[in-house]
Amino acid sequence: MPAITVDSLTKSYGQTLALEDLSFTVEEGEVFGFLGPNGAGKSTTINVILDFIRPTSGRVEVLGLDAQTHSREIRAQTGVLPEGVETYDRLTARQHLEFAIDSKGADDDPEALLERVDLLDAIDKKAGGYSKGMEQRLMLAMALVGEPELLILDEPSTGLDPNGAREMREIVREESERGATVFFSSHIMEQVEAVCNRVGILRDGEMVAIDTVSGLRDSVGNGTTLRVTVDRIDDAAMEAVRSLPDVTEARLEGGDPPVITAQVDGSKTAVLGELEDRGIEVRDFSTREASLEDVFQSYTTETGVEAR
Amino acid sequence: MSTDTEAGTGTGSGTTTPSSSINVESVRAIAKKDFQDAVRSWVFWGLSIFFFVLLVGVTGTLSYFGEDIAAEGATTDMLVLFTSEITRLVIPLIALVLGWKAIAGERETGSIKILLSLPHSRKDVLLGKLLGRSAVLSVSLVVGFALAAVVVAALLGGFDVVDYVGLLAMSIVYGVAYTSIAVALSSLTRSTTIAGAAMVGVFVLFYVVWNALQQAFELLAQREILFFDTVTYTFELDGQEVQSERLQDWVYFILNVDPGEAYNRGLSLVTNTDAIEAQVQLNEQMFGGELPFFLQDWFSFLILLFWIVVPIAVALWRFDRVDL
Repeated sequence: MPAITVDSLTKSYGQTLALEDLSFTVEEGEVFGFLGPNGAGKSTTINVILDFIRPTSGRVEVLGLDAQTHSREIRAQTGVLPEGVETYDRLTARQHLEFAIDSKGADDDPEALLERVDLLDAIDKKAGGYSKGMEQRLMLAMALVGEPELLILDEPSTGLDPNGAREMREIVREESERGATVFFSSHIMEQVEAVCNRVGILRDGEMVAIDTVSGLRDSVGNGTTLRVTVDRIDDAAMEAVRSLPDVTEARLEGGDPPVITAQVDGSKTAVLGELEDRGIEVRDFSTREASLEDVFQSYTTETGVEAR
Repeated sequence: MSTDTEAGTGTGSGTTTPSSSINVESVRAIAKKDFQDAVRSWVFWGLSIFFFVLLVGVTGTLSYFGEDIAAEGATTDMLVLFTSEITRLVIPLIALVLGWKAIAGERETGSIKILLSLPHSRKDVLLGKLLGRSAVLSVSLVVGFALAAVVVAALLGGFDVVDYVGLLAMSIVYGVAYTSIAVALSSLTRSTTIAGAAMVGVFVLFYVVWNALQQAFELLAQREILFFDTVTYTFELDGQEVQSERLQDWVYFILNVDPGEAYNRGLSLVTNTDAIEAQVQLNEQMFGGELPFFLQDWFSFLILLFWIVVPIAVALWRFDRVDL
């Protein structure tokens, strides 16, 4: 039984289509990275999964239950870290957790939970004085209450420093080892590639790629991105660079002096040689190995490759 | 007033489904949290002190200026009468201020997602909020009244417990009615600005519009405009029969739908305040000795009950159907 099944989900707000015929499944026990730029529809999807908003058409099942009619049962077995949410200013971390524990009928210890998210020293301070990162840690602790079967973390790294983000990933790993399914949304590839088994990339309300992390890595191949700063450029030279056998894609970034970026599979000297042969002065160049970030970029920017 | 989009067709979320059911434990948990949230702020203690000062102030004024009244042993009557004139105006204000952000505020800051990420239904949230906010007002009334009781008793040299507790009880019911109105309106929008405007609207409705209604109706009745008309009745004044005119029965019904009016009439039932009863007796003559049922004191409880039940019921129905 999949942990989450999204089936032909469409959500429109008047004329605006937030999600269009979105379908995907999250398997039980996996850590699923839900990736997309801001505004792609990640939060909308999560809001439907949690029954905060209602679909225009299509349906969502969570833990084998209909997300709309059985939302309470679903949420009893789910831990949620919502996005863009303020905690209750006048309540302490302890009171927040007591409320969550009380609400779920769990018997967790607030101190142990705050210890895990490294917020124990602020346990009796009111959340009104917390930094964004501290609020995020508190909400993560609330999500962990009752050892949920499913964790839904919406942009969990928001407001966290690199150290906090690393700790958060560590907790995701621990929860996954415990057997929980983790559904993890982010707009930064780096944060999901380290912990996720599978990644789905959402763009403009549609899933443009869904694969394992290694599968996505393979799809980039061994390509290298070459950035060349030149004194001038013309269309003929760009065409010549593009037509080189080792170059899969070349783009003029513009700017002054102009910068060319090219995806190169083999020798990069061919590109530099071609430019110099045309009397164009190469002022600077750099190479970068392709990363998952590039995959993400290519799927989520207008000039990107088409979905497979 | 609403800025929400009605939820789409969806797969039909009937009210009988488990997700939209009411769970007593959930309601309790939310009410507790909401109350803690308020008690932590100065609001709760501020209100308690306010009610204390109000009662002590009225009593002090009475005992200073009202020696004649005291001689007749009617001071608790007077206390109830004067205090209720003030609470009639102030309790709605407090309830509306306490309630306006109850739901809209949580939707605006997104913290409602904290509540609804936990296994609570939207109905639980509404009822928990109503309970929590009502508790803030009620408990501060109780604290204020309890503290003031000692001072009042000392200043007046003893007082009528039934009248005093009657005023407290009636004020609580009145406060819950306005809290229900406030929480219900707050759930209709995700903008606290619109919610705030709605609260002002309610206040204006009952304190400006409703008060003006009587004059408006009288004017219309005298000129017999539309279906308005006057009814002639006779009453005895100094042993003589006098003829006078009054408005039609249904007009009085409308005038009495105002929760403030119901509060006043209810007070005449739960307290033995002569001054309030005197007003009521005068009215009886207008109707040939017996008031129509909707002007009788017990009916004012129904009116207050209506204002507690109907707003929150409408909100319960609608809040289940919107996108947060």
